[in-house]
Amino acid sequence: MNDVVATPLENPLRAGLRLWRTPEPCIVVIFGASGDLTSRKLVPALYNLARERRLPGGFSVVGFARREWDDSTFRQVLLEAVNANSRAGPVEEALWASFAEGIFYHRASFDDPAGYARLAERLAAIDAARDTGGNRVFYLATPPEAYAEIVAQLGAHGLNRSPGGGWTRIIIEKPFGRDLESARDLNRRVLAVFDERQVYRIDHYLGKETVQNLLVFRFANGIFEPIWNRRYVDHAQITVAESLGVEDRGGYYDRAGALRDMIQNHLTQLLTLTAMEPPVAYDADAVRDEKVKVLRAIRPIAPEDVERITVRGQYGPGSVSGRPVRGYREERGVAPDSQTETYVALKLFVENWRWAGVPFYLRSGKALPRRVSEIAIQFRGAPTLLFADTPVNEIEPNVLAIRIQPDEGITLKFSSKVPGQAQIRPVTMDFRYGTSFGVASPEAYERLLLDCMLGDSTLFTRRDEVEASWALLTPILEGWAAGAPQDFPNYEAGAWGPAAADAFIARDGRAWRRL
Amino acid sequence: MNTLPFVDSATIEGELQRLWQETAETTTGGEAVTRALTLNLIARATDLAMAERISAVAGELVASHPNRTLLAICRPEEAPPRIEAWVQANCLLSGPGVPQVCGEQISIDARGPVTAQIASLILALLAPDLPVVLWLPGPAPFDDPLLTRLLGVIDRLIIDSRDLADPAGDLRRMAAFDRDPGTPPGGARRVTLSDLGWAALTPWRELTAQFFDTRPLLPHLRRLDQVEIGYVPAGERLNPMPGLLIAGWLAACLDWTPLEEAVSVEGATLRLHLRRPAVGVGPRAIRLVTIIIAPVGAPGAAPGLATLRLRALDGVSADFHVQRADEQGHILTSAEVAGHVPVRRLTRCVAPSLAELLAAELRLLSRDAMFSAALQTAARFTAGLESPGTSTGA
Ligand SMILES: NC(=O)c1ccc[n+]([C@@H]2O[C@H](COP(=O)([O-])OP(=O)(O)OC[C@H]3O[C@@H](n4cnc5c(N)ncnc54)[C@H](OP(=O)(O)O)[C@@H]3O)[C@@H](O)[C@H]2O)c1
Repeated sequence: MNDVVATPLENPLRAGLRLWRTPEPCIVVIFGASGDLTSRKLVPALYNLARERRLPGGFSVVGFARREWDDSTFRQVLLEAVNANSRAGPVEEALWASFAEGIFYHRASFDDPAGYARLAERLAAIDAARDTGGNRVFYLATPPEAYAEIVAQLGAHGLNRSPGGGWTRIIIEKPFGRDLESARDLNRRVLAVFDERQVYRIDHYLGKETVQNLLVFRFANGIFEPIWNRRYVDHAQITVAESLGVEDRGGYYDRAGALRDMIQNHLTQLLTLTAMEPPVAYDADAVRDEKVKVLRAIRPIAPEDVERITVRGQYGPGSVSGRPVRGYREERGVAPDSQTETYVALKLFVENWRWAGVPFYLRSGKALPRRVSEIAIQFRGAPTLLFADTPVNEIEPNVLAIRIQPDEGITLKFSSKVPGQAQIRPVTMDFRYGTSFGVASPEAYERLLLDCMLGDSTLFTRRDEVEASWALLTPILEGWAAGAPQDFPNYEAGAWGPAAADAFIARDGRAWRRL
Repeated sequence: MNTLPFVDSATIEGELQRLWQETAETTTGGEAVTRALTLNLIARATDLAMAERISAVAGELVASHPNRTLLAICRPEEAPPRIEAWVQANCLLSGPGVPQVCGEQISIDARGPVTAQIASLILALLAPDLPVVLWLPGPAPFDDPLLTRLLGVIDRLIIDSRDLADPAGDLRRMAAFDRDPGTPPGGARRVTLSDLGWAALTPWRELTAQFFDTRPLLPHLRRLDQVEIGYVPAGERLNPMPGLLIAGWLAACLDWTPLEEAVSVEGATLRLHLRRPAVGVGPRAIRLVTIIIAPVGAPGAAPGLATLRLRALDGVSADFHVQRADEQGHILTSAEVAGHVPVRRLTRCVAPSLAELLAAELRLLSRDAMFSAALQTAARFTAGLESPGTSTGA
């Protein structure tokens, strides 16, 4: 059997409730193993999974990078990384020792064919020594320019198929392309080597519990679905605000910008999950079919509309949380006359029966006053004003806010009478995961790595999804490029974006939520 | 926490209301206190020490299952006869800027003959429209008068098989209750039985199941012919219950059927004799399986399972072993199969607290069908057997 998606095992001891599925023993090969993502997220996530008994014995990691390390230096580097970054605190020595026995370093350059031939031998040797059955996950944690090369090399060395009945999967980090053309091109190259069923395009936002809970919240509670449409919803606001600037990623960011870095992936995901129709089943294809339908239903953006439905910003010097912050153009790796946006606001319409006429406002930016991600659904106001003592504009509409981070939870704002007075005031009903379920949520990367090893791609982006989102947003990039240069910087670090963003939403008679 | 002057449900309700009002006023810093209830938890204590333990667990449980705890302290043998009650809020410590979530607790202390009235008081104090769970810790839950009185209103009965006095007899009673709780006629509710002793076995089951998630090792599961289960007894008392439940679980999953003479006892060691389904044809197809359950003694070790070993001795040898590595919560797993490299791994498995076990049981919305199957099978082993192990202490 050389099937790319092996049939699930029927383990009779797994019958019944409450035993978590654990993946079959496998080797995770990390390309870019000496990089930031590996140390900060991937290996801490894998260690925590092992620690919580979610990984089988025999599980192994192979790191691939150029640095002159050997297995023992690599293990030492990862040990320090896990100690510094794990949510569970420093490692337990005995546990780490057992986990580290399965960690190996493979030194090679991405463009060196001999390196892949040796990799194939190495993997076969590990299969034999640790009984990993030919099961592999290739994780591309590398600069995006390297993706195509690595994929081609894996194909050329037969590493896209597993020996002996195992499975092979590949996880590709963001960004997936930088516009529609490059995303299509990358998809073509990847799919020339791997089957779509082997490909896991990661968007770590989908690994967050609250994001997954959005679907549960919408589709498991009978009271929200009937009002989740144009009859009751005035508009939606989706915000992903970061308080940090570009830090040391200026070189990368200056070629990307907020639209590519945040909107195309994270905010688009939040939008589709908010707007999608109920899927026929909770499985990878049914869920992703519905998400793609939302993207296809969004009114396409004509080049002449770009300036009208978007606002761009770039931060200048200022201060965030009481600390001085230098301007974007002063950051390392950033051009002194950079036209790259660090803030975007835009308005989209989902033109289907459920949402016709309801604007979805999206905004995201860097160096904003605080780090917060949320989806807010603002409902229409009460039809008549019954309470004569209170001026109309003082009764605030109902807002349902789903906070993704920090402090995940759901709040519902409604009006209530102040006891003993003829006043109406908004009050909020608050539900927070952290306090209602006093259990720490797993890290997004833990969930996603495990899902991939288990062969569940529901929380990963499918080919048509990534292309549909680029098809939607590429005209904005083109419109901006064709337009006049912007007068950047136009907001101070520590402000809620440029003044134009407030004017933009005020034109529709609405305002951004104060967060 | 004042003891109420006299006890009826209206007074207690009034007291609860006052409690919440006070809590709202005294909480400073502008952070609201959120009162949250997801279930009624009726817990019975037979003395004050047990009552304290239950209170501590109820407080911890707020984190995952904010609830109204009704703590019934039943002391029928004690004098003077009287009933007292008091209320308290069980709040979760919260960080700055985070609202505090609280459940509530009503404690009722009854002494002497009036203890018989406690059930009616509890009935009047249940928060409406929420599930009702009855937790009966201790050695004899099925003889508890509270169980008989409340059988018609509860959704779930929680016991702890590790506490039971007569493992063989109690195992049969658990199985009988699980088959038919004896809900009064007309009671639409099906009472579910939960066992914290079973919940404590989850990590062991998980680690055992993990061996067979790999394709090459899975077939060996059908070839096992010997299982060795070692447990650390609690003090002087031998309670092979965890071993019997694990044996029941394996037998239920793998279709092993007990032979006529299913159990033999040698000192403190139990041997179970089963037949496993045929693999292939011929004289070798029908095989017997032996399960050996024995106390293992490491001085100072915590009671519970200590080792679980599954072996195929006939033909290709295979040996799957899960065992405690130390008393700090580490478990060593190893798979040694002829023709495969041995795979050993150390993992973490800290024994869950009572509150964690209770929370795990409450998380299940429905019956745990696997528990039922394991329990029924385990009870069949003990048919006709007099209290295995209990007579052969120390
Ligand atoms: N960092 C994050 O927080 C984060 C978050 C989300 C997504 N991502 C994405 O994850 C990916 C990796 O990011 P990162 O921050 O970890 O990058 P990074 O720190 O720059 O690491 C790049 C890695 O690639 C290796 N590498 C580069 N060229 C190579 C070559 N020719 N041959 C062999 N190895 C080579 C480097 O190893 P040597 O120098 O040893 O050769 C290094 O291990 C990027 O696509 C990024 O967009 C990162």
